[in-house]
Amino acid sequence: MRPRLEALLRTTTFRLALVQAGVVLSFVVALLAYVYIATAGQLIRDSDQAVDQEYLSLERAYAEGGMRRLNQEVIERAARQGPMLYVLANADGTVVAGDFQHLGKLPGETPERTDFGFDRIDDAGAVTRGRARGRLGRLLNGPILMVARDLGDSAVIAGRITRVLWTVAILGLVLSVASGLIASWQAARRAEALSTTARDVMAGDLSRRAPTRAGGDEFDALAADINGMLDRLEQLVQTTRTAGDAIAHDLRSPLTRFRQKLEAALEEPPDTENDREALKKALIEADNLLDMFAKVLRVARVESAGNWRFEQVDVTDIVRELAEFYQPAAEEIGLTFGSQIDEGLAVRGDRGLVTQALSNLIENALKYTPIGGRIEVRASKRRDGRIELAVLDNGPGVPPDERDRVMERFVRLETARSTPGVGLGLSLVVAVARLHKGGLQLRDGLGDAGRPGLTAALLLPAAEPARAMF
Amino acid sequence: MRVLLVEDDADMAESLRSSLKDDDHEVELASDGEAGEELALNGGYDVIVLDRMLPKKQGVSIVRELRQRGVSTPVLILSALHDEDHRVEGLNAGANDYLGKPFSTRELLARVRALWHGRDREPQTKLQVGGLEMDLLARTVKREGKKVDLQPREFRLLEYLMRNAGQTVTRKMLLENVWDYHFDPQTNVIDVHISRLRSKIDRDFAQTLLHTVRGAGYRLEA
Repeated sequence: MRPRLEALLRTTTFRLALVQAGVVLSFVVALLAYVYIATAGQLIRDSDQAVDQEYLSLERAYAEGGMRRLNQEVIERAARQGPMLYVLANADGTVVAGDFQHLGKLPGETPERTDFGFDRIDDAGAVTRGRARGRLGRLLNGPILMVARDLGDSAVIAGRITRVLWTVAILGLVLSVASGLIASWQAARRAEALSTTARDVMAGDLSRRAPTRAGGDEFDALAADINGMLDRLEQLVQTTRTAGDAIAHDLRSPLTRFRQKLEAALEEPPDTENDREALKKALIEADNLLDMFAKVLRVARVESAGNWRFEQVDVTDIVRELAEFYQPAAEEIGLTFGSQIDEGLAVRGDRGLVTQALSNLIENALKYTPIGGRIEVRASKRRDGRIELAVLDNGPGVPPDERDRVMERFVRLETARSTPGVGLGLSLVVAVARLHKGGLQLRDGLGDAGRPGLTAALLLPAAEPARAMF
Repeated sequence: MRVLLVEDDADMAESLRSSLKDDDHEVELASDGEAGEELALNGGYDVIVLDRMLPKKQGVSIVRELRQRGVSTPVLILSALHDEDHRVEGLNAGANDYLGKPFSTRELLARVRALWHGRDREPQTKLQVGGLEMDLLARTVKREGKKVDLQPREFRLLEYLMRNAGQTVTRKMLLENVWDYHFDPQTNVIDVHISRLRSKIDRDFAQTLLHTVRGAGYRLEA
């Protein structure tokens, strides 16, 4: 898993890193330009100020003491140690006194700034090239005065700042590109891990999962989501597979019996009574098969949502009628049947489907509660605003860890193998619950600790109270 | 009676025709919607049995057409689509009954007879079968002059049986017409309701009125 360089350069991360590098670089350049102006620029301004003061003081000396006094001052000051440089010349430019023998140029009418290079000779006689900046002007009656300042220090500082600027800029650029490459390499590596997982899954290995780290960054979040999706997908595929197997299995047995009965009847010599019996049995098997198909189709139709016409449904009414409907049958088989139905419960939904879902729950209770047992139907509004239609019994119940499983299609517990049915009752209830944005909850029922029984509760969102009609 | 059967599946049509004939009906067969509609309009049938999905013209459209043209012959629609909304659509179009496939032949025959029996019924206020009398206004029931106490649902059950007196009614017909339930209960709920009703109307009398028809349903008959 080593992403190639060209691939890295194309990644979004790398492009982002480049943009970032550009921004950082512009900022550094702007910052250093500011620093340069604020430091080297300040040095020059300071130098100009010092030069101007010196020039003015010499001008004053000339005004007070004339050419003689000025000459004397210039000779004195030029002899002092320091960065200041002086030249005094006659009106025609002939140098009278000062640090240089020649003037580079003659001044104009007004004093001006001058910027020049010169050879500096130190005490040991070594010559260094220096730069100076000063003021050059004509005094009253023509003599020329120049005061300048050796820029030695300032020039060095400015050069240093320029070098630092370039170094930092280049270093920043290199670092930005490098960090961009590293970031995009890392991102590409992690994206590659996700791609690998996706490809493995595509190749058919549904158990593959994307690697996650403890870090919890956006890649981990993505990987966790992908893994969650794969979990659900695997579960669905598994359910479909199980359902397919179950259909094949549950269809094969009745079809085989169907065939055997017809075959046996054919092999016997014709005998009206026997033939009739065989045909009757074959008919029952055929009915079971058709019934199973009808149920599968019905669950599928409810699950596919589609165009059900939802209306305000009086749930109290439905539950009361169903309780009335089933009570005699329950009592007939030796069960106690109770009901506890609150008034005025309503949902938005399909009346037929809600009725059928609840009837499935009641029939399950009738089927699995042993003689002498108790069944109770309850309808109430819960504190969370949902309406609960519950069927409670004190039968064998469903172990807590099996409760999710029995809601799947075609799943029947081992203990239910002996009773008729194809394991579609609860899946229809779940489908109806989902269609109504509700749910099915299985909890302990009316029994005691050793034999908890079962509560199957259909939870449906309550309808908005119907508006009064005028 | 004369039955018009409109069904495009030849095997199905033949099997239904022979069952109806065995039940003493005269059967005419049409194998597509247009032919069926023409026969129905020209008519003189007692009952029309229509498949819902037909070539050329759908069963529901045929019923609508018949009703618009003032033909009031009872119509039974047969359909593989027997979800609630399809059923309601068929009944709204003017059909008198709606039977989902698959169905048993007995179920079909019972319904055809019930349709014919119930045609052009005058509004009645009193029903009578032998010594059993029902007053629909006072909502009272008497057997040989003696009052029988019934719960509301038992009253409706008995009313349906009395209106179809002499006819076999299936459990499914009772479920649909008395309770308005359109699913198959897995348990013998209907049988229990019938036996409770029977104990109220028949127990103290020599003559049994409410008979069980083996493998088919029930019949109220004097």
